[in-house]
Amino acid sequence: MTTNLDQTKPPAPPITITAAKEPSTLDVSVGPQHPGSGHMRIIIRVDGDYIVSVDPDIGYVHRGCEKIAEYRTAVSNIPHLERPCIIDAIHLNWGYVLPIQELQGVVVPPRGQYISTIAAEMNRIMSHLYWLAINAGVFSGHTTIFMYAFGDRDLFIELAEMLTGARLTYSFLPPGGPRRDLPAEFQHRLLQLLGYFEKRLVEYDRIFLSNPLVIARAKGVGILKREEAIKLGLTGPVLRGSGVKYDVRKVEPYGAYADLDFEIPTFEEGDSYARFLVRFEEMKESIKIIRQALEKMPKGPIARKAPLIIPEGEAIGRVESSRGELTYMVKGDNSDKPSRVKIMNGSFRSLIAFPYLLRKVHVADMPIIYGSLDYWPLEADR
Amino acid sequence: MANQSSTRKEDLVNKLKTRFPEAIKSSKIEGKRRITITFDKDKLLDIAQFMRDELGFDHVKGVAGVDDPTHKKIEVLYFTGSLSIPEIEDIILVLQTELARDNPTIASAVSVWESAHFHERETFEMFGVKFEGHPDLRKLLTLDNWDGPPPMLKDIKFPEMGQR
Amino acid sequence: MMGPRLDPERFGLQAVAGSLRQCDLLIVEGTVTKKMAKRLKIVYEQMAKPRYVVAMGDCACSGGLFHDSYSIVNDVHKLFPVDVYIPGCPPRPEALLSAMLKLREKIRREEVFA
Repeated sequence: MTTNLDQTKPPAPPITITAAKEPSTLDVSVGPQHPGSGHMRIIIRVDGDYIVSVDPDIGYVHRGCEKIAEYRTAVSNIPHLERPCIIDAIHLNWGYVLPIQELQGVVVPPRGQYISTIAAEMNRIMSHLYWLAINAGVFSGHTTIFMYAFGDRDLFIELAEMLTGARLTYSFLPPGGPRRDLPAEFQHRLLQLLGYFEKRLVEYDRIFLSNPLVIARAKGVGILKREEAIKLGLTGPVLRGSGVKYDVRKVEPYGAYADLDFEIPTFEEGDSYARFLVRFEEMKESIKIIRQALEKMPKGPIARKAPLIIPEGEAIGRVESSRGELTYMVKGDNSDKPSRVKIMNGSFRSLIAFPYLLRKVHVADMPIIYGSLDYWPLEADR
Repeated sequence: MANQSSTRKEDLVNKLKTRFPEAIKSSKIEGKRRITITFDKDKLLDIAQFMRDELGFDHVKGVAGVDDPTHKKIEVLYFTGSLSIPEIEDIILVLQTELARDNPTIASAVSVWESAHFHERETFEMFGVKFEGHPDLRKLLTLDNWDGPPPMLKDIKFPEMGQR
Repeated sequence: MMGPRLDPERFGLQAVAGSLRQCDLLIVEGTVTKKMAKRLKIVYEQMAKPRYVVAMGDCACSGGLFHDSYSIVNDVHKLFPVDVYIPGCPPRPEALLSAMLKLREKIRREEVFA
């Protein structure tokens, strides 16, 4: 079977980011100090008001997570492996324990799967609210949505603190299942908050998504065609904004997603506004998922006891984090420390979109494109 | 459903084995969605081209290096997937090969899979694996003037690591 | 802390997204890597006197969870003098606000020739 990628033309030349410099251009360094999102530097080559080429220079927050993971036991790896993307910590935690549970042969009971799913979807809403406030709001100059989204995010953080005991870094899922059961008042307060949040989403739509300034800045900017998105190996909302309907929750269901009924929002245009809309609609789908999971919650134990040793072998596990497909490969050698942990996350995979999208655009379009890709430097650098 | 998925995976493995009988050394199918293929490192570009054009594996999710000092080899793994063909879009096919530890070189897959660009740069920096034909092989993540050894190799224990 | 809940503006604090030369306070939050330490020193040098530094989080105070990594700086106080340390991983926003108030007390107590 042949694919529909264009094969009649010879392959395009590879990205020449460090090509020879023309005399009319100027190299400007954007960063590395970015208070909103983490430190990374993009060296842009400008010719007047147009960007000619781009060279991402990352590594300013590289902490060596993969090397440290070989020196800590399997369970004490969880706190430092969930810190790369601290606002999305449940997904980073879950992706790590899925291959370990596979190697050890531990199956989480159904109630534990439902609790993990509820915590993961709450985390997705929190991460998208952070994106809305900073990457889409502050970077494009819209500070009202920053205040609105941060205020609502704080309400979700309070509920997460009620469930797990911590505001941002939960360490909630050791191998075998979640640590704690739902507290008594949790369900009632969560349903109250979801009802309030649905009305707020309508307001966000009015002040941000239907704002003529945002539409003028984001529509038609940074267009990523479907074949390019597939060829570059992008993932997450960036891929779904270009018309590819791919989500790990449907392709390889984990947790309770196989029993729940939800949609995958996909848009065809591929510009920055489509990527904004994908994340917005995902928040609405998350509300649906949480409501269904609370209704259908089964009774029973929440966790099984897992051994402390990782048997010999190699396993791959993946989850759909807020920034895309997060894949972990864990290799064990019959001791309590893993011998190799490899992390492949959505932010590092979208690094290749920078030289592609930031070509022949105005300098003022750069924050919008950067914000729509939702690149989190700490996660990409690990 | 189980029958359908197992014949899909065996189908793919058989197609690869008939096309490259000597270059494919072994294959393993695990669970519902994982295939591991061990191949000879000199045939990387031919296998990659066949997989992209005939089988439909169009992107690389990551490139990992695994260090094995007891057997004096470094393994390089390519995690590939397909986004354009819905029947196989949930399979992860891992291409695995071994390189000699004192001089690890392999051809670069960037001419076939452009998504491997930054992953190969990171493996070059962390393990010292040279990818020939890569357009821009420089350091990515560590210090600007880091002249130390590749950090992820097992016999390099940084003096501070593991002390509490 | 910068959001509407705790509202630091009523205490005289505002995040300036502009020139560094107008800032009085540098908050070091999170881990400082060796690659970033050089740029952090440049940022500190660019601030006009009087300038104050707050180290926020376990990683900025002493290395924290990543203390044995090969690419981070454990002791930020060797780069520049730190006025207030805030432990915690991550610190609560109320802790950050309390640190701001402690810093105001410290500034009030300072003499001209200190």
